Amino acid sequence: MNPAAGTTAFAVVKAFIRRDFLTEKSYRLSFALGALATLANLAVFYFIGKLFGGAMAPQLELYGTGYFAYVFTAMAFFGYIGTGAGSYAGRLRLEQTQGTLEAALSTPLRTVHFLAAMSAWNFLFATFELLVYALAGSFIFKLDLSAANWPAAGLVFLLSAACFAALGILSSCFVVLFKRGNPLAWVLNNFEGLLGGVYFPVAVLPGWLLAVSNLLPVTYAVRAFQLAVHRGAGLSELKGDLLVLFLFDLVLLPASAWLFSLAIKRARKTGTLGGY
Amino acid sequence: MKFEARGLTKIFPAPAFSGGSPLRALEGLDLEARPGVVGLEGPNGSGKTTLFKTLAGIIEPDAGTILAGGEAAGPGRLRELAAYCPSNTRSFYFRLSAAENLRFFGALAGLSTAVALERAKQLAEKLELSSADLDRRFDRLSEGNMQKVSLIRSFSRRPPLLLLDEPFRGLDADSQQGLLELIKEAGRDSAVLVSSHAPELLRAAAYKVLKLEAGRLAGEAL
Repeated sequence: MNPAAGTTAFAVVKAFIRRDFLTEKSYRLSFALGALATLANLAVFYFIGKLFGGAMAPQLELYGTGYFAYVFTAMAFFGYIGTGAGSYAGRLRLEQTQGTLEAALSTPLRTVHFLAAMSAWNFLFATFELLVYALAGSFIFKLDLSAANWPAAGLVFLLSAACFAALGILSSCFVVLFKRGNPLAWVLNNFEGLLGGVYFPVAVLPGWLLAVSNLLPVTYAVRAFQLAVHRGAGLSELKGDLLVLFLFDLVLLPASAWLFSLAIKRARKTGTLGGY
Repeated sequence: MKFEARGLTKIFPAPAFSGGSPLRALEGLDLEARPGVVGLEGPNGSGKTTLFKTLAGIIEPDAGTILAGGEAAGPGRLRELAAYCPSNTRSFYFRLSAAENLRFFGALAGLSTAVALERAKQLAEKLELSSADLDRRFDRLSEGNMQKVSLIRSFSRRPPLLLLDEPFRGLDADSQQGLLELIKEAGRDSAVLVSSHAPELLRAAAYKVLKLEAGRLAGEAL
């Protein structure tokens, strides 16, 4: 029997997670510095929040919370869903420069399995970071999340994570084809946080920027998550944002997987799969 | 299983705006390989590596067909049927041990952990790679031992088509002998294509040696 017939998505994902865990473990300092950076980031917003005291900005009234709670929640949420947007291109570029991409893709590995496995470790690590945020929020910063509607927040979370993973896969197509120079990653890195309401509600943006902001899935994701967590908003209140996120998923998920397959096929055709 | 390549053509386009010309790597090449060992020799740039990568489904030909067992086989099917051992070792995770690398690539090829590690152990013995070296981080291995790990990765798949590009590179005399035995053993069930710039090793490994020139087969080498 051809051994490839036994290749399952689970076995592939497991193999990638093990590989990435062992690799990360071999860079111990990097792990520690990463955790410290997360805490330092939080401290910045904590002190900004203290500076402005408990006063609620009018733009935050919709969410019924203060600035620190808002930015804390958005950063924890965006930190996780942003993993999908950033990690695919980063991982792929690393494989290219190591020379392992061609070796991995010269096996019977299916594209869908490869996509599921490539960033599995990043998502696992992001889950750990999310846990750190949750513990810090509860025990250090004493955030009041008693009103939260967790099932609704979970649904927003799932739809958003899928959407950002699709954006990440689209972004990695540029890496496959052009190696360096990734316009989608540039937009995701530089404008998602600014225009998506991560660091402040989008209501503070001028009208023309608000229009741009409404084209980005992150805007709907952050708003819906904030409303579910701080105001306990349910499905009826969130249905507009959830529908938009669902539509983004419906289009982006199959399109990104298809375009990624095309990009790999093109690299096989031009003989540049092993290039960097 | 019998493999046939008919009219294989591969032209690598010049990079955009480079002013260069396309590289014609394969020019309508025909080849047949049955279980057994066939050697390939030819000067640098004659198309050996391109031929191997095309037969392995890593790159797609611009024209021509490849048949496996009489049926047309596209790149996806070829990646199931063929294992390619590249001529350089820059295709491993340097921070992982040799064994961990073999376990990982084994999983991608559909081998269970137990099978991948068992085969790695058996093949390492034949190639005189110690178990301590199997457990050593890849970037701490000598060039020759890296090459052995690369060979183990390909042999352990036990594919119907085994493509060995410069497999003797960096090996000491005893390991070369071990590899010759492994190639002979694999050739009983699989079609094995071997390229080398060492004519005596190629002739020791293969029952016939073909000559490749400018992307075409130029008959049997003398």
